[in-house]
Amino acid sequence: MKPTENIEEFVRLEKPHVTTGGAMDKRTLNDSFAAMDENIRANKLGAAGIILRSRAARFAAAAVIILAVGLLMVYRNPAVPPPNTVSAAESPAEILTVASLNIAYRRGGMRAVEKQYEEAAEMRGPRPAEISLQELLAEFDSI
Amino acid sequence: MIDEKILVRKFNRGSKDAFQMLYEKYKDDLLGLAITLLRDRSLAEDVVHDVFVSFAGTTGSFHLSGTLKGYLSTCVANSARDRNRMRSLRDVELDAAEAMNCDSGDPVEHAIDSEQSGQLTQLLGHLPYEQREVVVLHLHHEMRFKEIAEALGISINTVQSRYRYGLEKLRSIMNTMVTK
Repeated sequence: MKPTENIEEFVRLEKPHVTTGGAMDKRTLNDSFAAMDENIRANKLGAAGIILRSRAARFAAAAVIILAVGLLMVYRNPAVPPPNTVSAAESPAEILTVASLNIAYRRGGMRAVEKQYEEAAEMRGPRPAEISLQELLAEFDSI
Repeated sequence: MIDEKILVRKFNRGSKDAFQMLYEKYKDDLLGLAITLLRDRSLAEDVVHDVFVSFAGTTGSFHLSGTLKGYLSTCVANSARDRNRMRSLRDVELDAAEAMNCDSGDPVEHAIDSEQSGQLTQLLGHLPYEQREVVVLHLHHEMRFKEIAEALGISINTVQSRYRYGLEKLRSIMNTMVTK
């Protein structure tokens, strides 16, 4: 094959075959081993070292700190309950709606429902001792 | 033969034996690449040395996405380009460069090496550095144009045109030699 015919084949086949010398091998391996040792020592710095070295780890650490501070603030200053809660209801009628009782049941079971009834009764004011339960319920129903 | 990935894994765990095996496997190829690119054996040895030392410095965190040969060839090509930019623009003749600072232990072996690779390296020496780089990476180190483009940070069209111009120039030089 003439080299001019297929220059690609010629270049590919005539790849130079060089060998490294003993001195170069020794120098390269010694320096490489030293670099490996140094890197292994640096890796043993622990979590702080990892965080400082890796950009992603730095971001993750920052996110964790922000989250922790946020949670701390929430627990120290609990948010005001949202306005759509039972306790914010203004009248016994509102307290005793099906939706309101349903929410109370989901939150605290029958105990919460009873408490809600008590609140409604308190808001309604004192009633005569001889009033029966049926009369009381009828009164609530008529609100 | 132990699989390359196993060697890389062992190297990542700090095994010096694994590193040495990888070094033995690729050192000659990489030195050949560096010599072809730089046309100066002394500089080429420095480049290969630096590449292996910085590779060794990644132990514990090295992630191999392609082949190790491709990765190391890219490192050598990039480092050689930096050296080429830094050194003075004096044109070092290949023969002279090969003769100086060669620490090959066996002179006979070195002579055989030089004879085998001399003609081509001399020819490649006539190409501009950028064209030589692409031709050698593609034909000697079996890197695809896309890989070369990514490694050198240039477009694939640029790589292909450099390759084409390089081959055309080589062909015309060889035609001239044949007609003489």
